Amino acid sequence: MPHKGKSLTRRDFIRGTLGATVGTSLIGTKWLKASGNAAGSSLVAVVRDKGAMDASNNVNPSVLKTMLDQTLIKLTGKDSTKDAWLSLVKPIDTIGLVPTPHLNPTHQEVVDAVKSSLIEAGIPENKILNAQGGPDKPKACTALIGLPALKAHWLTGIGTVMKLYILYSGRPSNYHDENNAKLGEIWNLPFVKDKTRLVLVDALHPLYDKGPQVNPMYKWAYNGLIAGTDPVAVDTVSLRIITGKRKELKGEPWPLSPPPLCVEAADKVYGLGTSNWDNIKLEISGWKEGLLLG
Amino acid sequence: MNSQSRDNTLKHYSTQPKLFFVVCFCLLFFLFISAMPSKTGGKMQESKPTLPKTVGLWTRPDAPQLVTAENIFDYMDGAGELYIGYRFDHLESYEYKAQTQENILVEVYFMKTSDDAFGLLSLDWGGEPIEFAGEPGDFAKSRKANSAAENSSWPRALYGEGLLRLWSDTIYARIMASQETTESKEAVLALGRSIVKERRNPPAPSLLKKLPDSFPANWILSKDEASYFRSHLVLNSIYYLGQENMLDLDLSSEAVTARYERKDSKGKKRIRFLLVRYPDNQIAHQAFAYFHKVYLPEHSLPLQSGSSGEMSNVFHIEDGWLGYKFQGNTIAFIFECPDQETARTIIDQT
Repeated sequence: MPHKGKSLTRRDFIRGTLGATVGTSLIGTKWLKASGNAAGSSLVAVVRDKGAMDASNNVNPSVLKTMLDQTLIKLTGKDSTKDAWLSLVKPIDTIGLVPTPHLNPTHQEVVDAVKSSLIEAGIPENKILNAQGGPDKPKACTALIGLPALKAHWLTGIGTVMKLYILYSGRPSNYHDENNAKLGEIWNLPFVKDKTRLVLVDALHPLYDKGPQVNPMYKWAYNGLIAGTDPVAVDTVSLRIITGKRKELKGEPWPLSPPPLCVEAADKVYGLGTSNWDNIKLEISGWKEGLLLG
Repeated sequence: MNSQSRDNTLKHYSTQPKLFFVVCFCLLFFLFISAMPSKTGGKMQESKPTLPKTVGLWTRPDAPQLVTAENIFDYMDGAGELYIGYRFDHLESYEYKAQTQENILVEVYFMKTSDDAFGLLSLDWGGEPIEFAGEPGDFAKSRKANSAAENSSWPRALYGEGLLRLWSDTIYARIMASQETTESKEAVLALGRSIVKERRNPPAPSLLKKLPDSFPANWILSKDEASYFRSHLVLNSIYYLGQENMLDLDLSSEAVTARYERKDSKGKKRIRFLLVRYPDNQIAHQAFAYFHKVYLPEHSLPLQSGSSGEMSNVFHIEDGWLGYKFQGNTIAFIFECPDQETARTIIDQT
């Protein structure tokens, strides 16, 4: 067992020295690290509607469309959904939609709603592709819209935004073990970097434990969409909801195990956005019960 | 040809058929013997469960989707690491379909040992214990009564909101209805019965017997948080120790972990017990030394004591007192103890 230099342990996590240790432990990826960390605050919109799903967890497409419209307007500050989209993407873009493909996948209704909304905004249908898959997918796109589903993950703590592009690495199993904190480096690959225009999290029916294989006992109807242009901020808000639900159920803190190192590393090592709650501005709309963002 | 040589010739040809039959008999005898189970511990050829073609409103395809260690990541991405972390053989997956209801997915994981199938079930004790074939279903009672961690009190099947998970000898199975209805629940349970039918019920892993019901003073085992595993990834999903495989866990090792709770005037406290058993003393010692180097770099490895080479110590670290005992081919740990005395008392008892 050759010792590989400083290794992240539980003790680093408890000491609060994770940020420094994450940086020094993630060797060999210098060219994929950020030249500077993201600065300033990041806006994340959270829109919920109690009627987004019925009692059998079937999605109501018309309610979902209204939620999507509200999310885009809240996030961009524009007056219409069309203007909101056109502030994020252009008709000349080839836009890749990137959903979570399986094991608590993104609802097809969410993907369809986004696609329809883009078309209504004037994006040609043939310029909207499904971009989930191997490296050839993002290479064919000039813009990416992440559509991950909200779920806990047994390998990474949370398996939502940062894990979304794992297949773009061409070697996803490399990120299953001690390298799972390095997921952020995939976002800095040359054919991925700076293409993500929006991350919209499907938080309609999240999974709060034992993911990614689904155990229905650990899902609940949050009926929400979470969106932002800062993927780390969006993942941080998503994480807060998951941990909030866990705490609500147990009546005490119930931390994810393993801790979601990939989120903090995405901030502190790869400069993809902010994981600092104080630097995240929330724009919340709709159903307030069970918000979990107090 | 003279008469004697003719007689010899006749004898030769007359014994040929007899020899032929003797050889055939011996061959058949040896084939029969080799097909029988060995009395010295070899595994009986197990019968593979037969899933019904139709159950209630649902029908399955003729053949399953076969998933091996080579393509498990294609099937389930990172979730595959969970099964690879145990002694996984292969998975057979069926999707049952019905015209008027959502699908039922049946995943039958063939593991190499019953211990590994149990281990997968032990990662989540949530759900309603289900009794098949007249087995005792008193898990809930035994958990409440904190009775001894006997093999018979571990549930073999758990159901909740459309998902049935079960352990049946070397099989771990997940049977999940996309949408739970009265009909789908009946079908899911019927499929579970068909899997466990006429299969053996070996006991739970012997290492579980090393989990005492309690430690002094008044630390009570949380049985619904006891797990059996072999992989550091699984350990981290239960109790995060670190990114590296600092305990050098692999398929040749085995481990159990559980939480113990104590309630006092200051509220509820919890400690974590972990026991790892390695194939031999040398591997155990190497793992112990490496753990020390990675997790306790500021402390020196203790000297071995006694003829057994036992090493034990307690340390105060960020989240409380940690104690360990290395002995033979096992290492026991106790984490997050509130004080030195607790850590020392517990580790001395292991």
